Amino acid sequence: MKYVDEFRDPELGRLLAGEIVNLVEPGRHYKLMEVCGGHTHSIYKFGIDDLLPENVELVHGPGCPVCVIPMGRVDDGIAIAHEPNVIFTCFGDMMRIPGSDGSLLDAKAKGADIRMVYSPLDALRIAKENPDRDVVFFAIGFETTAPSTALTLKRARMEGIENFFCMSNHVTIVPPLRALLDSPDMRLDGFIGPGHVSTVVGARPFEFIPSEYEKPIVVAGFEPLDVLQAVEMILRQLSEDRCEVENQYKRVVLYDGNARALEVLAEVFELRPHFEWRGLGFISQSGLKISEAYAEFDAELKYSVPGIRVADPKACQCGEVLKGVIKPFECKVFGTACTPERPIGTCMVSSEGACAAYYNYGRFAREREVV
Amino acid sequence: MRPANDQGMRCETEHDSGHCITCGDEAVALRVLRVDEERGLALCQDASGERTTIEIALIPPVAAGDGLLAHAGTAIAPLSRDEVPA
Repeated sequence: MKYVDEFRDPELGRLLAGEIVNLVEPGRHYKLMEVCGGHTHSIYKFGIDDLLPENVELVHGPGCPVCVIPMGRVDDGIAIAHEPNVIFTCFGDMMRIPGSDGSLLDAKAKGADIRMVYSPLDALRIAKENPDRDVVFFAIGFETTAPSTALTLKRARMEGIENFFCMSNHVTIVPPLRALLDSPDMRLDGFIGPGHVSTVVGARPFEFIPSEYEKPIVVAGFEPLDVLQAVEMILRQLSEDRCEVENQYKRVVLYDGNARALEVLAEVFELRPHFEWRGLGFISQSGLKISEAYAEFDAELKYSVPGIRVADPKACQCGEVLKGVIKPFECKVFGTACTPERPIGTCMVSSEGACAAYYNYGRFAREREVV
Repeated sequence: MRPANDQGMRCETEHDSGHCITCGDEAVALRVLRVDEERGLALCQDASGERTTIEIALIPPVAAGDGLLAHAGTAIAPLSRDEVPA
């Protein structure tokens, strides 16, 4: 894997870090948001922020799929899981997300047939193996994951499988970015754009960021030098008084994305008028529901769910963390009442979550010393 | 991809990293071992040698030895052969 070694070269990293130091204006504070939870994870796994000057701050964005699931949707999933004759399937971390009365894991302990899968195809396989049961897949994720769900529904139709259903919680990346940019408590200088979402949607959908908000965005890969180079490219744009969409991850991301994947998404999904995001509230046209053409697979049409909006626990500040307003260690319950083993908030569950990334890579102690 | 934590409920694709990428939106680089053109599937292998079946309908045709980027069982982009495990 030639590129992995090349993109982890410490000498090149030091050179890039030097370039970054040369680009920053002394006395100016730079706030750059990495949109994707995968980037948050890479930054703390590889200690990338330690290579940056003190006045370059990385702010963690809302791009962690399990972190943005509101409690009400977890409750809806649990209600379906308790329906008779249902096998409920979801990805692993999703099982640990707290609802208002426990998680899917708790529901499993109470007797619901809930199974972890690694892909929607696994859930479809369970449906084929259990023709006398109804199998429901709890779908989460941005545009990286949604094509997989869409293809699975197409395959279910092609194979004539009638006992497979999907509860779609898929979301899209552009509306929350717009919501963040419109938020009065945010002051960001630029964005590190999501690498793998962009393999599907391309870099073009981010053009509104420079054109309407006059901020640079650089779509980046996930290796340490990818992230460092993206920071360097953003700072270079700022130093040259430019703002545009740049693609650091050209070896994988095409500017216009994956046309076939976009076609499949348009066929199987349609935009919801609005969808609730954990901590961010309702955002217009930010969620995907199963389209009318595939309505027979829509679990939300087959089962009645509570559909009740549930407020986050008072102690939990995931909303502020997801908006980049506070750092994880500034949350009152971080590392004490809320840990990866016993999470209160979503950001502590998935390793893409900013709180889990801080906790797992020791930021908890080091940041507190600085504070 | 395997259960990793003490509850056996966290999926993982990178050894020793604790990094769940099915739940996240991060895809993984795989090498194609065999293609089933009729079913639109490919048997692929990751850096740790783990094998998995991947939907290949969304990318240009691939052959044994090619690389691809996959997420949640579906290939979303082709990769150069240099970028995937041998």
